[in-house]
Amino acid sequence: MKRSLAGIAILAVVAGLLYYAAGRREVELHQREFFVMGTLVSITIADTDRATALRAMEAAEEDFRYMDRTWNPWKPSALRRINQLLASTEWFSVAPSVEPLIRDSMELYERSGGLFNPAVGGLVALWGFNRDEPPTTPPPREAIGDLVARAPSMADIEFDGIRIRSRNAAVQLDFGAFAKGRAVRIVTDLLLEMGIRNAIVNAGGDLRAIGRRGDRPWRIAIRRPSGEGYLAVLETRGDESIFTSGDYERWFEYQGRRYHHILDPRTGYPAEGVSSVTVVHGDAGLADAAATALFVAGPEKWPETARAMGVEQVMVVGSDGTVYMTPAMAERIRFEEEPPRVVIRSP
Amino acid sequence: MPSTSEPAGDLEREDLRIAWLAALAVTIHVAESALPSPLPGVKPGLANVVTIVTLAWFGWHACAWVSGLRVVAGSLLTGTFLSPTFLLAAAGAGAALLVLWPASRLPGRGFSPLGLSLLAAMGHMAGQFLLAWWLLIPHPALLGLLPPLMTAAVIFGIVSGIIALRIVEQGPPATPS
Amino acid sequence: MITPADRFLLAAAGLLLLLLYALFWQGSGRASRVEIVPGDGSPPLHLSLYHDRTVEVSGPLGESILEIRDGRARFVDSPCPGKLCVQAGWLAESGATTACLPNRVILHLNGGEERFDAINF
Repeated sequence: MKRSLAGIAILAVVAGLLYYAAGRREVELHQREFFVMGTLVSITIADTDRATALRAMEAAEEDFRYMDRTWNPWKPSALRRINQLLASTEWFSVAPSVEPLIRDSMELYERSGGLFNPAVGGLVALWGFNRDEPPTTPPPREAIGDLVARAPSMADIEFDGIRIRSRNAAVQLDFGAFAKGRAVRIVTDLLLEMGIRNAIVNAGGDLRAIGRRGDRPWRIAIRRPSGEGYLAVLETRGDESIFTSGDYERWFEYQGRRYHHILDPRTGYPAEGVSSVTVVHGDAGLADAAATALFVAGPEKWPETARAMGVEQVMVVGSDGTVYMTPAMAERIRFEEEPPRVVIRSP
Repeated sequence: MPSTSEPAGDLEREDLRIAWLAALAVTIHVAESALPSPLPGVKPGLANVVTIVTLAWFGWHACAWVSGLRVVAGSLLTGTFLSPTFLLAAAGAGAALLVLWPASRLPGRGFSPLGLSLLAAMGHMAGQFLLAWWLLIPHPALLGLLPPLMTAAVIFGIVSGIIALRIVEQGPPATPS
Repeated sequence: MITPADRFLLAAAGLLLLLLYALFWQGSGRASRVEIVPGDGSPPLHLSLYHDRTVEVSGPLGESILEIRDGRARFVDSPCPGKLCVQAGWLAESGATTACLPNRVILHLNGGEERFDAINF
């Protein structure tokens, strides 16, 4: 009698401890954070020995710094020199470190119907969103109108071998909506080449995840566009990039109106109707560009742009809080709290 | 079950008994407070053995006295009197006594010292936890601590219960005369 | 000496424990510790989230002020022009990170089971 009792007690305790242990299985993670490209980059590596992980993270940081130096149009860089030469509308030889960025941007410009347009660097500078401190006033209406009328676009750029020119002197390249994605892609490729199979490369909230975290997938929370906390959770599959463009990232208020940093190249003003766009795609660079293009497309037109750019997993949060999703996104996303209104639309 | 209403002449003897048991409980209490604790709030609570044995032999009143004296004297000795540590210990002891009162008055065979010890340990932990919750840190994160804390309480409650059971089975000590 | 009531109690205690783990253990994605990386290159601070306090750390622009209260942490003030770090508000979830980019100060929550491996925004 006593023995069976002790048995029950021990069983209960063991069950409790097992439950505890199961919830606590730790996977060894290596993490490194650094500031680059105007943001905080964080690299997380799982299931890799410490020496390899440290070497990989070091190399990744170096690569990020190199791309920042090369692709920053607002500091002395290869891209800034290219911008100066583009303004001359003469032919010149393009730096090989920037050439693929320009070529791929031209293609994405076409596919996005001009909504992804890195040629409007002049507009970004006019608004002042390129500076460290956010602007305090919008630029004069006429200045915006003038620049939009000159219509700088990626279609103005011509290639001849490695030589390049712009037919439009107003073209100023700013890869703010593409460089981060491209850099995340390149750095993650580097990790893969170094034999790392499980990692997250997170550049200021935009990330590419490969592999898993131990015995479960990587779990990514998507921040609520307004207010604190998280809107939803995604578990990644294999190799995926998750990019979000949001109006809350950089903005200022002037005379009671809010101005954010995602500019509509057609009007020269911040795009309206959308709070954030999240895109999941295999190519980080494309996900980055598509998030911006779909944001500019707005709550009505985004499915057409998504189809044209070949992205199937999209979530758009409208300014009124309505959540629009593609079926492929709706099937896998888990909301922390059910949104007030969900609309499923096929791309 | 020994009666709590003893003849007047035995009053002094009962005081002596309580003092002796309380001294034992205080010793254990102080010794345990010197032990390093893996988690705040987790202690073997072997003083619980004294409480339960007192309850079994001399009734709830004696048991309440021993517990009260243990908490007060123990905190005076460890220099924590009226500090949060003391308040937690008092809340735990109070809650344990509150649970033991009806539990020791059940009809029929009721609980053995093992059951009483387990109840006292869980009551003790619940009392401490509630006080910590209301008074010290009313934060949801504290709830995450409850499962491991209660697990520890159950384990130690059973261990001291088995010890108390052994002692009680040997019968009360011969009454000194 | 062991009675039926004892047996019933032991079983009930076991059930109670399972219930407690099921209720409170899973969702413990709340952080218990905070890591603050100063912007001046000095070593990071590792602090408990359960001791309320105000922390000042320096960076290239000056002093950033952070607050830890009720298991949460936030930027109270920072010498940056945009104050995006302050707008980020309270962080409580394990794995959550925010930073004052101009002043190079990082606030990172950890401890407890991390519900997320990264935050997308």
